[in-house]
Amino acid sequence: MATYVYGIVESTARAPKAKGIGGAPLAVVAGDGAAALVSDLPDGEVQMGRDEVMTHAEVLDQALTRGTVLPMRFGVIMGGSDDVRRQLLERHGEDLRAQLVDLAGKVELNVRAVYEEDVVLREVVNDDPEIARLREVVHDRSEDATYYERIRLGELVAQAVEHRREQDAQAIVDLLTPTTLAVDVGAPAHERVVINASFLVERKRLDAFDEVLEAVARDQFGRIRFKLTGPRAPHSFVELGGGQ
Amino acid sequence: MSALAGNRFPRSGYVARSSSSGLAEVLDVLLDKGLVIDIFLRVSLVGIELLTVDARIVIASVDTYLRFAEAVNRLDIGESSSEGLPDLIEDMTQNGAQSKTKGVLEGAKESLFGSSGNNDNDNDDDDDSSSRSRSRSSSRSRSRSSSRGR
Repeated sequence: MATYVYGIVESTARAPKAKGIGGAPLAVVAGDGAAALVSDLPDGEVQMGRDEVMTHAEVLDQALTRGTVLPMRFGVIMGGSDDVRRQLLERHGEDLRAQLVDLAGKVELNVRAVYEEDVVLREVVNDDPEIARLREVVHDRSEDATYYERIRLGELVAQAVEHRREQDAQAIVDLLTPTTLAVDVGAPAHERVVINASFLVERKRLDAFDEVLEAVARDQFGRIRFKLTGPRAPHSFVELGGGQ
Repeated sequence: MSALAGNRFPRSGYVARSSSSGLAEVLDVLLDKGLVIDIFLRVSLVGIELLTVDARIVIASVDTYLRFAEAVNRLDIGESSSEGLPDLIEDMTQNGAQSKTKGVLEGAKESLFGSSGNNDNDNDDDDDSSSRSRSRSSSRSRSRSSSRGR
């Protein structure tokens, strides 16, 4: 029997009632000062897809309502409870205990900010005479006749948007970080993204964080759209030395 | 899904909120982040990783330039009275205009922590529509992997 590992919880924690991957019940493998939240997997080939990923996330959400969770990345499968105890809980015990203490009472919040494209493009056109000029050149002329002007125009617009993105992203981080303990800025998924950042926040500071974010979003209403995800387990702020 | 999200935060306001249950968000964190103990024991998820890579557009490309050019070309410029945007945005644009070189959010910082004019809390316009996700969440992705002990 193989064992799927969702995350590390306190050694006194109990398994949530939710079902694990494949409908298997969740269990806790306890070690010294840390425990693993697991469920059984059949031996041999296992198919993993969107359902399994969603289940992993739901299990972590459930566990987070019960205490501190150090989330595993998706797809950590071990060779049974003994393996979990020896290769995970004992071998990395010091690291895990330290992070359980360190991350107690803390959660991760993810902020995604996206430009309202027309608004930011209008700013860019109004701010840059060369962009405005090229826009006039291509305006009402065929795409074929203005292909290179269009590429040049688009390149300048992309640069101008990028410049704004850097300034706006930094400003957002600067405004939010006083209420947080750490920040992890991710790569933007597409060109309208201003920032995609995860923040480590103490639970008791969630309201303070929310207040600042609301104020920023209100100020930028109509220009930048904000989306907040979480609280969730601190995915961006866990690490195992010697692991990978 | 997350009970915490619902309890902690009010549903109204300028920020769209979600628990961590959306597929795009879940893929974003679970495939990239979290503890990993042994690379050999990880499942190989070719299908899903392609799904996320696919969702990431290369920003500096000719396609992007042409798209930006077209988007700029489409804009109505210079008819500020016909933009149809709420008054609040005009206020904001004015704030922005006075601090163009610093970036508009620098102006935001000032209005939050510095100068006056921060108490006009009377506008409760809601902006709850969530951001459009580009991930191809409809395509089914499966991959094979073997779970083996050591």
